[in-house]
Amino acid sequence: MIKVRFHGRGGQGMKTSSRILGTAAFLSGFFVQDFPIYGAERRGAPVVAFTIISKEPILERGYIFDPNILLISDETLLLDKQTDPTKGMSKESIVFINSNKNEDYFKEKIGAKVIVEDLTKIALEVLGRPILSTLIAGVAAKLVGIEQKYLEEAVKEELEQIGANEEMIRKNILAATIGYNKVQEVKIEQTESLEPEVKVVEVEYNDPEISTPVISFVANSYLKKTGTWRVFKPIIKYQKCKSCRLCYVYCPESAIKWENNFPVIDYENCKGCLICVQECPLKAIEIVREGE
Amino acid sequence: MKKLMTGNEAAAWGARLAEVDYIPNFPITPQTEIIETLSKWIREGEMKAVFRTMDSEHSMLTAAGSASATGARVFTATSSQGLLYAFEMLYNLSGWRVPVVMVNVSRGLSAPITLEPDHNDILSARDSGFLQIHCETAQEILDSILVAYKISEDKRVMLPTIVNFDGFYLSFTREIVDVPKLEDVRKFLPEYKPTHTFFKASKPLAQGTPVLNSSLYSYFRYQVHRAMENALDVYKEVKEEFNKKFGRPIDEVETYMMDDAEYALLMTNSFSTKGKKAVIKMREKKINVGLIKLRLFRPFPTKELMKQTRGLKGLAIIDQNISPGKGGVIYSEVSSELYNYEEKPKVITSFIGGLGGKNISETEFEFAINYTRKVYEERTTLRVPILLFTEEDKKTSKTLIDIAHGGEKNEA
Ligand code: SF4
Ligand code: SF4
Repeated sequence: MIKVRFHGRGGQGMKTSSRILGTAAFLSGFFVQDFPIYGAERRGAPVVAFTIISKEPILERGYIFDPNILLISDETLLLDKQTDPTKGMSKESIVFINSNKNEDYFKEKIGAKVIVEDLTKIALEVLGRPILSTLIAGVAAKLVGIEQKYLEEAVKEELEQIGANEEMIRKNILAATIGYNKVQEVKIEQTESLEPEVKVVEVEYNDPEISTPVISFVANSYLKKTGTWRVFKPIIKYQKCKSCRLCYVYCPESAIKWENNFPVIDYENCKGCLICVQECPLKAIEIVREGE
Repeated sequence: MKKLMTGNEAAAWGARLAEVDYIPNFPITPQTEIIETLSKWIREGEMKAVFRTMDSEHSMLTAAGSASATGARVFTATSSQGLLYAFEMLYNLSGWRVPVVMVNVSRGLSAPITLEPDHNDILSARDSGFLQIHCETAQEILDSILVAYKISEDKRVMLPTIVNFDGFYLSFTREIVDVPKLEDVRKFLPEYKPTHTFFKASKPLAQGTPVLNSSLYSYFRYQVHRAMENALDVYKEVKEEFNKKFGRPIDEVETYMMDDAEYALLMTNSFSTKGKKAVIKMREKKINVGLIKLRLFRPFPTKELMKQTRGLKGLAIIDQNISPGKGGVIYSEVSSELYNYEEKPKVITSFIGGLGGKNISETEFEFAINYTRKVYEERTTLRVPILLFTEEDKKTSKTLIDIAHGGEKNEA
């Protein structure tokens, strides 16, 4: 049995990745289960998806705690305490990270078999958008040893289902193939389940100030630094800016402050949606890929 | 034909293969994908049915019952708050004796609001006069819908059925489903031919009439109970026929590794899969344990349950629901049914787990069995119910509560 866990951000296409891998494995004759987890949807918010591939019927439900393969579509997720994408990983697990940094950078931090490729760059070249679903699916399919023809068939099937046109399907099959050829098939060590031993404890009565769904600490959302969600960074070119305030009004995160009659982006909270770029009538906001 | 599909799509396939005439609907997470799938098929001409989005679940169920009373085959689906919003109509539909089949995708009830599953929603409909079939896999969902129509439309029954399955864990999980051929389904489930409720100009009827005479009220309501009793026999017939035609057993009580079991877990719905895996792990440690899954919840399959629990040293019931002030609903049901039975399990223990979709880990299942064994072997007094809640769960809750009250300045 191979358990694959995908970590990404809303909008990158991780659910589609897990489904493409699932369909490709199904077409190859395996038992399959795939499953996404996302809360109240928001572009950029952490998303997890899973694919389980097996020669026997699968006795699993829900979150995979002990993945054999982890695919992380966005290195900034490694900093997200709540998501904690490497949780449950063993020494035998294979970790794939989409990043423009090199493998050594992650090796000591993660301490497992790490593979790093800059898929965002390829996505921008091939698809013109930083959507990674088919690239990551390609990587995953190769790692688990699925034949390329089943991958291609699966991409077609899944994209048709979400209403993609022929051109998009063609480009995405190309993207999947590039992902597929970037990596080598890996040997999956069948380790024992790492589900941690837990202790059942008693839950005593607490006073209602604690034991009811009440938040007394107001205005706390700024503590959630959505700045780590960015793939692209908006940069205001003040020579061009005429202080029209449109970006300030449209920013959905209120991440643009108004100071000395000019907009100032709060990068700790700007999630990189680029709505400001879209709205600026003077094209005064430029886009730079994060980490460049 | 084998296909990879979500639980929701399997439910839509059930309705499609049953060739339903009318689908009144109202969206709610995590059920919406069912009606989206059906509406897509209808729009693209792959399925013929009337699809109407109503203004609420209450109207939806009223429309479902009324349409069924004209003789149409009706399908609908809801979840959680939606089911509760439609609640009074549940009793009306069973009183009208109309064979509507409704899916409920289980989701924990507010407050606090959640999207993930537990069974307080479906179990609240326990006394409504709907049959209830609970599913563990996507295949069971499709199969149960076909079986549900067959039983509901049987003259000895004529009651509506709810087919229940878990949100997320099944609704959004894709797995392999064997989709039967339409010709084969038609042979198993012929067209619905009503005898007591229909719409015919030449034969006018007043339906759902008020009954202000208490003898007559008692008589009619007790008939619903009698019909439920019949449904137990009809279920047996139908499962035989289904298994013969499609080669899949759908027993009202499913057993797993029970042959030589001294202890057993008793569960319902998708978490049973987790329970089965835990059983394998415990077997490796030489614990003689098995699992009993209740698939049919109304009518309650008492005799089957007696048979399957006969002589057990201990039965650990895992309730994914809570009746505050009492405990687990299924624990109460099973214990009361087995009480007068001589060969009942020596000890029946009660655990609450998986509320709001909380994971039940292998260690938690093992804890439940070990506790049951301890009560049996050492005759210790029983604590009822025990919440399956771990140190880690407690820590997580504390951290989040601290953040909510400004105690933890960490990044939320
Ligand atoms: S990209 Fe622009 S609009 Fe989007 S969050 Fe950042 S500053 Fe606001
Ligand atoms: S929208 Fe453009 S021009 Fe207007 S304030 Fe923002 S950056 Fe300046």
